[in-house]
Amino acid sequence: MPPLLAVRNVAKRYGAVQALIDASLEVDAGETLALIGANGSGKSTLSKVINGVVAPERGQLLLGGRSVHFDSPHAAKDAGISTVFQELSLVPQMTVAENIWLTREPLRRSGMIDRRTERRRTEDLLSLFAGTLRADLTPDTPVAALLPDERQIVEILKAISVNPRLLILDEATASLDSRQVQRLFELIGQWKAQGTAIIFISHRMAEIEQIADRYSVLRNGQTVGAGSMKEATANDLVTLMAPETAGGAVERRRLSSDILATRRIVLQIDDLRTSVLRGVSMQVREGELLGIGGLKGQGQRDLLLAIFGGTPWSGRITLDGKPVHFTHPRQAMNHGVALVPGDRAGEGLLSIRSILENLLVPSWRNYGFPLQMQRARRDASAIAARLDLKMAGLDAPVSSLSGGNAQKVVIGKWLLRNPRILLLDDPTKGVDIATKAEFYRLLTRLCEEGTTVILYSSDDEELIGLSDRVIVMHDGRISSELAGASLTTANLVAASLGVASGDAP
Amino acid sequence: MKQSRWQQATYRHPYLFALLLLAVAFTVNALLQPNLLEPTTLNSNMRVFLPLILVAVGQAIVMIGGGIDISVGSIVSVTNAILATQIGLSGDLSTAGVIMGVALLAGMGAGALNGLCVAYLRLQPIITTFATSFIYSGLALFILPNPGGGVPSRLTAFYRETIILWLPLAFYVIALILLIWAAIRRTRYGRYLYAVGGKADAAYETGVPVRAVQFSTYVISGFMAALGGIAMTLLTGSGNAQVGDPLTLSSITAAVIGGTPLSGGAGGVAGPMIGAIILGLIRNIISFANVATWWQTFVNAAIIVLALATPGIINLVRRRNR
Repeated sequence: MPPLLAVRNVAKRYGAVQALIDASLEVDAGETLALIGANGSGKSTLSKVINGVVAPERGQLLLGGRSVHFDSPHAAKDAGISTVFQELSLVPQMTVAENIWLTREPLRRSGMIDRRTERRRTEDLLSLFAGTLRADLTPDTPVAALLPDERQIVEILKAISVNPRLLILDEATASLDSRQVQRLFELIGQWKAQGTAIIFISHRMAEIEQIADRYSVLRNGQTVGAGSMKEATANDLVTLMAPETAGGAVERRRLSSDILATRRIVLQIDDLRTSVLRGVSMQVREGELLGIGGLKGQGQRDLLLAIFGGTPWSGRITLDGKPVHFTHPRQAMNHGVALVPGDRAGEGLLSIRSILENLLVPSWRNYGFPLQMQRARRDASAIAARLDLKMAGLDAPVSSLSGGNAQKVVIGKWLLRNPRILLLDDPTKGVDIATKAEFYRLLTRLCEEGTTVILYSSDDEELIGLSDRVIVMHDGRISSELAGASLTTANLVAASLGVASGDAP
Repeated sequence: MKQSRWQQATYRHPYLFALLLLAVAFTVNALLQPNLLEPTTLNSNMRVFLPLILVAVGQAIVMIGGGIDISVGSIVSVTNAILATQIGLSGDLSTAGVIMGVALLAGMGAGALNGLCVAYLRLQPIITTFATSFIYSGLALFILPNPGGGVPSRLTAFYRETIILWLPLAFYVIALILLIWAAIRRTRYGRYLYAVGGKADAAYETGVPVRAVQFSTYVISGFMAALGGIAMTLLTGSGNAQVGDPLTLSSITAAVIGGTPLSGGAGGVAGPMIGAIILGLIRNIISFANVATWWQTFVNAAIIVLALATPGIINLVRRRNR
């Protein structure tokens, strides 16, 4: 019997970039296939070929053994292929129900939309994630009012609402917290039992090991390996994905509390309050890497923004012993504070402008009038070299870079200003393992040079591996602080969920 | 991400702000003109407001779909030129009916050209319809080089004097449009319209026929502009190839006041209708206050700028106060 879907030798080129050279995969009904590969390896393009967003130049799609051509996402959906998109496909101005049922609204005989049925079906879908969503999230909530994880869940519900034969999850877990991920995995188990095939795309190896039955690895647009997950270790897969940088995350040597105690306190925060924060106090020392953990949306982002002067706050912030009250990011920048935003496309980069310009945006004032372009170019290339930026040249647009390299530009533009305090807002979300490892080395070096780093991450292993200390936030407060021996994944997860540390199963 | 109560309320009822403004404009107008609510005054006002109301509805639908139509005023002029020359002051009623049908088709044709350029050739709506507006006003001047012609007085009398159950004709036209709109809102087409205007990429990925929807909004707008042109002609009873010009800016202003953002994907039709009435009342107030008529244009433009700037100003004030 032929597999539910077979992709054979697909190629696709975008302008000068050959996104796919020779990609193949097979997936059967009732199984989960992990499609893995480093950033820029062509995973997203391949999933777009399968769901009809992109037409391949060469190669074949066989659905149940029959050759098919999808000229639109609609055609693929009619054939039973549904996708949870990485770039969200929801209309912000419309409600949850309107978004989920868009183009498939239940109709009355008169041709009018049956809103009662639509509402009921939406409630049924939302109940799948009951307990992991806000209680006041109803079918009538506008999507614009949702948090990123809630949007992602609506996106998943929208994809599953068509009862697909094949469900593609493209980085669908990236913005979910651990409870939501576990719920999703339970649901995937149910859908598999009903005969749905699933293609799972993720950067989180732990999730892949937990959920996938088989894997298929892409490297530079080519399928370089496939097999059963039972017969492969995480290291095997990493070697397939990026043979030159096997090894994964670097473990940073933690500073002991004795050494830390001798360091100068750089930043002291007392009773910080914003619309989200409800009294946060903490201190950070020179060269320390402080991690911020916890479930999504517990005020982590607001804490970073408040320090950076990006959101109004009350309380007391002391920088190098002097009280400060930044009301604009520029003031924070002038005091050596830098924030690397999580939404790199939206907040961190001018994507159509050159790498040079992006790197220099915060620093132009140091280059006089008229701008001393030679010196600027020299400084920019020094930073690019330090970050090992893979690029066509400083004048290439940032949009030509892969995700990981674009992220380096976001950090690089702040390094040019030699920040003393670097605030990072989930910097490795959606970044491949090789780039992550490089990024970890960079952070380690910065700390050694005396930079204080405050890192918020949704990746627990990253927090454990990198931080000297982790504060866990819950509902706008610091619920616990982990350091030394108590800094373990189990404790972090327990603290995030509000379970007292040590009592975790 | 968090929305204030006002934002939530205006999401559900985009015309709330317009109602507030309507109350103010109405009160001021009533103070200057105490007989404002008497049937004859009401009628003489509404029949003047109706052309803009019709044009603003079409404009709002284009704006909800994420576009803008700068050519509506010229389409009104073309319609006026066709009616004034082809029916004539002594024309009979059956010819008039045929010619009105032709005018409506011409409006839809003009809208189709706009839609073709914007939806299928993917040209910028604002530039495209600005350019086509010159084609249409040229056409209007070609049909009617000098002001003149007209329609029989029986027709204008019907438009001007019809009052059924104390309410002028305009009210029934408005009610009919609201009924049709309420029905459209509950069809798939209604949903598609908002999806396309809200986030066209997302709508496309979901399988919404984005281009067809965009195209249709311009055809509807052309139709409504032609309808507005017919109303305008029946109101004035005469032909003037530039009669529609001021309606373009006014229709956009009415839509914006009525809670239809220039960014698309939100708003409705009731708001812009109220917006058009507000603009009419403001014009009344200006004429009663005995100031020059160019104030009307100034007020229109000021309202647009204010409507665009208000969210930003509110944010600035909030930041200051914390």
